[in-house]
Amino acid sequence: MNLTDREKKMLDGVLGTGPQSAMRLLVTLGEIYGAKRMIPVSSCHVGGRSYLISGEENIEWMTDLLNGGARFQVFTSTNPCSVDCEQWQEMGLPEKLVLSQRRADEPYMKMGAVPLGSCLPYQLGNLPLPGTHFSWGGSAGATFVNSVFGARGNREGSPSVIAAAIAGVTPEFGLHLKENRYGKVLVDLSGLDHSSLTLSEYSAIGSYVGRILVDKTPVIVGLPETLSPDQIRFLISPMPTAGAISLCHLAGITPEAPTVDAALGGEKPEDKIAVGWKEMRTSFAKLTTAQKEDVDLVCFGCPHCSISQIKEIASLFEGKKVHENTRLWVATSSHLKNIAHCMGYLEIIEQAGGLVTTDLCVAPGAPFHLVEGVKTVAINSARGAYFIPGACHLDVIFGDTKDCLQAAISGKWRASI
Amino acid sequence: MKIILKGRRVIGGSAEGEAVVTAQPISFLGGVDPDKGTVVERGHELEGQSITGKVFVFPHGKGSTAGPYIIYAMAKRQTAPSAIINVEAEPIIAVGAAMGNIPLVDRLDQNPLKVIAMGDYVKVDGDKGTVEIIKKG
Repeated sequence: MNLTDREKKMLDGVLGTGPQSAMRLLVTLGEIYGAKRMIPVSSCHVGGRSYLISGEENIEWMTDLLNGGARFQVFTSTNPCSVDCEQWQEMGLPEKLVLSQRRADEPYMKMGAVPLGSCLPYQLGNLPLPGTHFSWGGSAGATFVNSVFGARGNREGSPSVIAAAIAGVTPEFGLHLKENRYGKVLVDLSGLDHSSLTLSEYSAIGSYVGRILVDKTPVIVGLPETLSPDQIRFLISPMPTAGAISLCHLAGITPEAPTVDAALGGEKPEDKIAVGWKEMRTSFAKLTTAQKEDVDLVCFGCPHCSISQIKEIASLFEGKKVHENTRLWVATSSHLKNIAHCMGYLEIIEQAGGLVTTDLCVAPGAPFHLVEGVKTVAINSARGAYFIPGACHLDVIFGDTKDCLQAAISGKWRASI
Repeated sequence: MKIILKGRRVIGGSAEGEAVVTAQPISFLGGVDPDKGTVVERGHELEGQSITGKVFVFPHGKGSTAGPYIIYAMAKRQTAPSAIINVEAEPIIAVGAAMGNIPLVDRLDQNPLKVIAMGDYVKVDGDKGTVEIIKKG
């Protein structure tokens, strides 16, 4: 790779062992992928912060970097973690987890991380602009930023994001390069009645697209003009889990896709698929592992709930009570929890017996398995349903928001379809 | 008998040791115990085998993107292999080797899984991308 003088200095250890380790990691990655040079990143977001994902090993590595003089050089926000440090007792979690998570967070904070504690950092001030380069862990956020803002970045594990945040650069390969960003497969959603589709159903569509396309960049057509940011989020966030897609062109929405032709880079699509109601419904059965109807925990917030979702949940819960054997967690950022409080939604959810959690990941880094009595979790997103069995070794039910709420009230699963 | 293979430097540095060879991919997260330095993946042909201080020869990595942390932890706890030879390195193994300072070479001019046998003595020069094999017996 061609390195600048500054990058060479870093690699030679002139700036300390921390920046040296970071640069060595980035050069390695660049060489494997045939990158010719490093490019500056304007925004970083670290995933893998949950103590339950990265454990003592991450603490050791981060502490070594910190002691070796590493500091974040660019705006670097944090993903959610393994616990809500304010409400761990109400959640039935052990104090030990809180202490471990705090220890895990220490080096991030000392390096200068902005503790947004959310997988929607773009709603909270970490906003990569069109055409700029970012390095983000947390594939839901990276996919949104690629697809909706037209900023450029790859789906990454946490070590390379931390290295980029320290070095201020990342190797130029994959989705950083314009030629790798064109769509490959046309996905037609015009056969669906968008006026009646729920967020869960949009995530079921995204999951199906990920399964079929695997790693080919989709170009979606047949979407209504009124598509909301939440609908987009649910549609695209399962794509990197069901497949390995981290850019999805939404024709007429994505900055690089003003037209289908522009999204395809003037080439013919390699393939065309249509997704109808039947294809969409397959995702619900495919992602559900539970055999019994008892539901111990109902969860919303993978990715984190927006204020509109919290409003919907509050309106459905007004005057209702969560079943005594069931827990209800609504996961969001501390900022949106405050807004929910100002708008009265927090009180409605709490009076019903639910919790609005902050800083908590309710899928890959979740602590569900540490809560006594929790064997089956119901969740309203395909992305969350994908992670829970593997990360927590629990059964999961993927269903619609309204069915999840019904399960929270009755303690039993009854699907409306 | 001495055989020399040439390949690509992924992580520099040099190291040597007895070879542990498998044709099956390796997942460090969940597949290797970082405290004991042994392969623990159920049904893996190396299940129970120690890789500490060995030159570890396998086709490529698999599994979780948290794998690098395990390789790094092994380096810290001195349970890591002394060097790694892959048929084709991928980011998870390569990033882990970079974090743990473990020499790693790949893309050798002959298939290392065929040329290197369990117990051969192997010297890896990560900077030059070369591998010297002294056959057992």
